[in-house]
Amino acid sequence: MLKFLLKRILAAIPVLLLVILITFLLIRIAPGGPFDRERQASPEVIENLNKRYNLDDPVYVQFFNYLGNLVQGDFGPSFKYPNRSVTEIISNGIPITAELGLYALMVAIGIGVVSGVIAALRPNTAQDYIPMSMSMIGICLPAFVLGPILVLIFGIYLGWLPVSGWGYQAYDKVLPSLTLGAAYAAYMARLTRGGMLEVLSQDYIRTAIAKGLPKWKVVLHHALRGGLAPVITFAGPAAAGLLSGSFVVESIFQIPGMGQFYLQAAFNRDYTMILGTTIFFASLIVIFNLLADVLLVWLNPRLRHSTLKN
Amino acid sequence: MAILEVKNLSVSFYTRDGETQAVQDVSFSLEAGEILGIVGESGSGKSVTCYSMLGLVPMPPGKIVNGQALYHGQDLLTMDEKSLRDIRGKKISMIFQDPMTSLNPYMRIGKQIMEAVQIHEKVSKKEARERAISALREVGIVDAEKRVDAYPHEFSGGMRQRVMIAMALATEPEILIADEPTTALDVTIQKQILDLLKSIQAKRDLTIIFITHDLAVIKSLANHVVVMQKGKIMEEGEAQQVFNQPQHDYTKKLLAAIPTTAKSFPSKVTESTPVLLDVHNLHTTFTKYSGIFFKKIEQEVKAVNDISLSIKQGEILGLVGESGSGKSTFGRSIIRLIESQSGDVLLNGVDLTKLNAVELKTARRDFQMIFQDPYASLNPRMTVFDTLAEPLLTHKLATRQDVGHQVNQLMDDVGLERKHLRKYPHEFSGGQRQRIAIARALALKPKLIIADEPVSALDVTIQAQVLKLLLELTDKHNLTMLFISHDLSVVRFLCDRVAVMQHGVLVELDETETLFNNPQHSYTQKLLSAIPALN
Amino acid sequence: MQELEQGRSLWDDALSRLRKNKLAMISLCYLVVLIIVALITPWIAPYSYEAQDLILGATPPSSEHWLGTDSLGRDQLTRVLYGSRISLAVGFTATSVALLIGVLWGTVAGFLGGRVDAFMMRVVDILYALPFAIFIILLTVVFGRSLILLFLAIGAVEWLTMARIIRGQVLTLRHQEFVEAAVSMGLNRWQIIRRHLIPNALGPIIVYTTLTIPSVILLESFLSFLGLGIQPPQSSWGSLISSGVETMEEYPWLLIYPGLALSITLFSLNFLGDGLRDALDPRVSKD
Repeated sequence: MLKFLLKRILAAIPVLLLVILITFLLIRIAPGGPFDRERQASPEVIENLNKRYNLDDPVYVQFFNYLGNLVQGDFGPSFKYPNRSVTEIISNGIPITAELGLYALMVAIGIGVVSGVIAALRPNTAQDYIPMSMSMIGICLPAFVLGPILVLIFGIYLGWLPVSGWGYQAYDKVLPSLTLGAAYAAYMARLTRGGMLEVLSQDYIRTAIAKGLPKWKVVLHHALRGGLAPVITFAGPAAAGLLSGSFVVESIFQIPGMGQFYLQAAFNRDYTMILGTTIFFASLIVIFNLLADVLLVWLNPRLRHSTLKN
Repeated sequence: MAILEVKNLSVSFYTRDGETQAVQDVSFSLEAGEILGIVGESGSGKSVTCYSMLGLVPMPPGKIVNGQALYHGQDLLTMDEKSLRDIRGKKISMIFQDPMTSLNPYMRIGKQIMEAVQIHEKVSKKEARERAISALREVGIVDAEKRVDAYPHEFSGGMRQRVMIAMALATEPEILIADEPTTALDVTIQKQILDLLKSIQAKRDLTIIFITHDLAVIKSLANHVVVMQKGKIMEEGEAQQVFNQPQHDYTKKLLAAIPTTAKSFPSKVTESTPVLLDVHNLHTTFTKYSGIFFKKIEQEVKAVNDISLSIKQGEILGLVGESGSGKSTFGRSIIRLIESQSGDVLLNGVDLTKLNAVELKTARRDFQMIFQDPYASLNPRMTVFDTLAEPLLTHKLATRQDVGHQVNQLMDDVGLERKHLRKYPHEFSGGQRQRIAIARALALKPKLIIADEPVSALDVTIQAQVLKLLLELTDKHNLTMLFISHDLSVVRFLCDRVAVMQHGVLVELDETETLFNNPQHSYTQKLLSAIPALN
Repeated sequence: MQELEQGRSLWDDALSRLRKNKLAMISLCYLVVLIIVALITPWIAPYSYEAQDLILGATPPSSEHWLGTDSLGRDQLTRVLYGSRISLAVGFTATSVALLIGVLWGTVAGFLGGRVDAFMMRVVDILYALPFAIFIILLTVVFGRSLILLFLAIGAVEWLTMARIIRGQVLTLRHQEFVEAAVSMGLNRWQIIRRHLIPNALGPIIVYTTLTIPSVILLESFLSFLGLGIQPPQSSWGSLISSGVETMEEYPWLLIYPGLALSITLFSLNFLGDGLRDALDPRVSKD
C-alpha cells in the first residue's frame, strides 16, 4: 500500500509542475505588469521595483528561483500588499474557504448519497421520482441563482437566517453551506442512484437475497460498497467544483475567504499571489484526486490485490 | 409425503409490450431426498418457476397470477416477507449459473458464508466461522482454514461454484435449488461439480431441484424429470421413463436434437485430396504490460504454442479444448485477426503471414469467419441487406444495382425468407441471426471458413438445425472448415478429423472416430470421460 | 426484390420511445422556440438593448415593459432576449469545440489502443487534475474578455470527458464480433470507423452533447457572474443575474427573470439529454 501511495504521489508531481509552469508563463505573456496601476510611477521607480522583485532576470531564472523558494514553503511576497507575504494571505483566507467547502461537502454527501440510495431502492416510483426531481432542480439552479433566492426567502422575507457574513452571527454559516452544497448533493444523488441500480442488478445481490438477508442488510452490506464507486470517483472533480463554487458563494454572502483574494490578485496582476493561490488550489485538487484513487483501490479487493502486487 | 408441492402456478411479466406469460399452470411435487430435474430451453420458464417460489422474481414487472407453492403445507407465495426470509436460505437454498458473478467481490468468502449462518441461527462469530470452514472442507476446498479469508477473485470458476455450494449448504437446508450450476463451466469441471453434488446429496439425503437446459446432465443425476416449453409443462415422470419412452413430441424433439452419433456420411477427403491450409509452427503470444508512460513487459502468455496442422480441401477439422486452451486465438491467428509472432500459414501455397495490408485485403475473400455470439456478430445499425451486401461491394463482386440478386440468393441458401432483408438484427431470434452470419460468411464464396463456437450460444433444437445447415452448405459449396468448439458431441457429429488443444499446445490430432474410440493422450481421455452421456 | 418490408431500425425505436417521454418532448419544443427567438431577436426585441431611460429608472413588470426595467431604464425583456443569444452561442460553439476534439481524441485512442491509447489517456488524466475554472478566470483576466477566447477555453475543458466517453465506446465496440467480422471481410480502417464504429457510438455522443451544452452555459454564466465574461452594455444571463443580485431586495424581478430563463433552459437540456439516454439505451430496448 505504501509503495502504491508513493507511486501515486510521485505521479502527481509532474502535474503540479505543469500547473506551475503554465500559470507562470501565462502571467508573463499577459500584457500589463503588476506596477502599471501605481500612480504615475516614474520609470526609475518601476525599475527599482522590478529589481527588488528580481523581475529583470530572464524568465527561466525567475522560474527556477521561484521553484526553489516554493520547495522551502515560501510563496514569496505579495506585489500588491508589499508588507504581507502570499503565505500569510493564503493562511488567513484558507481556513474560511476550507470550512465552507467542508460543510458544503457534508451537505452534498449527506443529502446526496442518502437520497440516491432511497431513489434506487424503488426505481420508477414516487420514492424515486421525488428525490430525483429535487436533484434536477439542484443541478439546474446554479449557486448564483440559488443563493440569492435562499437569501430572499429565508433572510429577507422570513427573516430566519442571517443574509451575510461568516462566523459573525449565529447560524450565518447555514445558507452559504447549503448554497454551495446543493448542486453537488444533486450530482451525488444521481451518481449514487445510478451506481446502486447497477449494483442491485448484479447476480451477487440475488445471492444475498436468496440467503434470506433482509433488504436493508442487502443494501448496507452488499450493495453500498460497489454502488458508491462512482461517487468516490466524483470526489476529485467535486473538490475542484467546490473550490471555484466558493468564489461565487463568498461573493454573494460577503465571506472573506480565498475567492476574493484570488479575483483581486488576478485583476491586479499580483504575480506571486496568482501563482501562490493557483498552486495551492491545484495541489488541493490533486490531493483530492489522490485520496479518491486510494479509497477506490482500498474498497475494491480485486484492485487492491493487483495494485499491491505490483 | 411431498415436502414441496407446486399447484397451478402461473407467473406473468407486465412490460410496455404487454403481458408475457412466463409460467402457465405449472404443477409438480417434490419428495424428500429426490433429485428433480427441470429441463427446458431458453424462455421455457424453468428458472422463473423456482425463483417465484422464493420471492426472487422482481415485482413489478413480474406478478404471480395464480397458484400455490406448499412447503410442508405452508404456501410460500402468500407468506409474509419475514416468514419467507426464514425459509429462504435456511430451509431452501439456491446456487446459480455464473459462479464468477454470484459471489460478492467485495467480501471475503468466509464472511459471506458466516453471514448466511448468522442470519438464521443464533451462533457466535467463532462458531459461524467454524461452520464456514467445515462447509468449505465438505465441498473439497483444500486448506479451508486459510482460504476462508480469501476474496472470490482468488478462486477459479469451478472453485467459486464450490464456495457457492458451501454457502448454500452451511445452513443445512432441506432443499437445494440449483439453477444451471454447471453451464458456465468447462466440461471437466462440470463433471467434478456434478460428482460433488451427487455425493453430498447421498450423504445428507438432500432434496435437489436441478434446473438445466442440458438433458445429458439431467440424465446422470435426476430421479424425476419435468420438461418445460414456453412456460408449460410438456412432460413429467420418472427419469428412466422420460428418457427411454418419451411421450410428448417436444421431449422427443429435444432428445433427437442432441448430437449423439458420428458423422452421418463418409468423408469426401481421400489420400489424393490436395491440402488447402497448411500451418507450420505457429506461435501467438500475448504480452501484458505495466507502467504508466514507458511500458515494461510484465508477463507473457503463450496462447498458441508451436502448432502445426493441415486441412485438406473439403474437410471439416474440429478443434476442441476448454476455455483458455487457445483454440479461438489459433483460429484468429490463421486469418490474421490476431497477429502471430512466428510460423507460416499457407493457404493454397500462399503464406498469409507474409502478406502486406493491400494483399491481405484481397486475400480475405478466400477465408471467412463465423462467430459465436449471434447477438454481437451483427452490426445492430445495419439491415440484413446491408450486412450481406457489404462484403460483395467491398470486394467489388457486385455493383450497387445488381447486388440485390446475390443477396436474395444468400437468403435462400441459409433458409431465410427474402422478405426479412429490410429488417434489423434485433428483430430476429438467435438461430435466425446465426443464419444471417453464415450467409455473410458465404457471400464471398470463400475457400476456408473458420467457425468459432457457432452453435454454443443456441438452444439445442436450434443448434441441431444450424448444424444441419452447416453440413448441407459445406457439402453443396465444397467448403473447407475449421470448426472450433468446446462441445465434443457436436464435433463428433460434424467433423472428419479432430484436433485437441490444451494450454496452447496441440495434444492430439486424429480421424474423428479413431480419436473418440481410442484416445491416446491422457487429456483427451479425461475430456471424453467427462462428457455426460445420454446413452 | 419481391415484397419490400420496412424494417424498424434502432433509431426508429429510439425516436418512438422519445416521443412517449412527455417531459423530453416539451423540453425539445421549448428549446426549438428558444433557438428561433434567439436568432430573430434583433427584429422582434421591443427595445434596443442599450437604450437607457434614466428618468424611468427601475420599474416592475408592466404592459410596456413585460419584465420590467433596470435601474438605467433598460427593458429587461430585451436584455434577457439578447442574453439568450450569448448564452446559446457559447453553449453551442464551445460544445462543438469539445465535440470535435473529444471525438477525434477518443476515437484515435480507442481504435489504435495499446501504447498510443495509454499515452493519450494519461494526457487526459493529467489535464483532468488541473484546476480549470481557475485557469479560465486567469485567462480571461490576463487576455481581456473576448468571446472567442471564452469559447475556446470552455471547449478545451469540456472535451476531456467527451474523449473519455468516446474512447470507452470505441474500445467496447472494437472488440465486438461484428467489427472483427468487418475486419475479416477486408474492410479498411476508415470503412470500419465510418460504417461500424461511428453509427454505433452515435447514441452516447448525442446524449453527451446534449448534456454538455447546459454545463457550458452554466460555466459562462458563472464567469459572467464573477464579472469575467460579457462586458456591459452587452448582456448574458450570467451578467444579468449578477447585477440582479446587487439589487435583489429593491428590484427582485431583475434577478428572477434572467434566473428563470437560465434555469428553465438548463432544465430542458438536461431533460432532453436524459430522455435521449433512456431512448437510446440498448438495455432498456431489449426484451
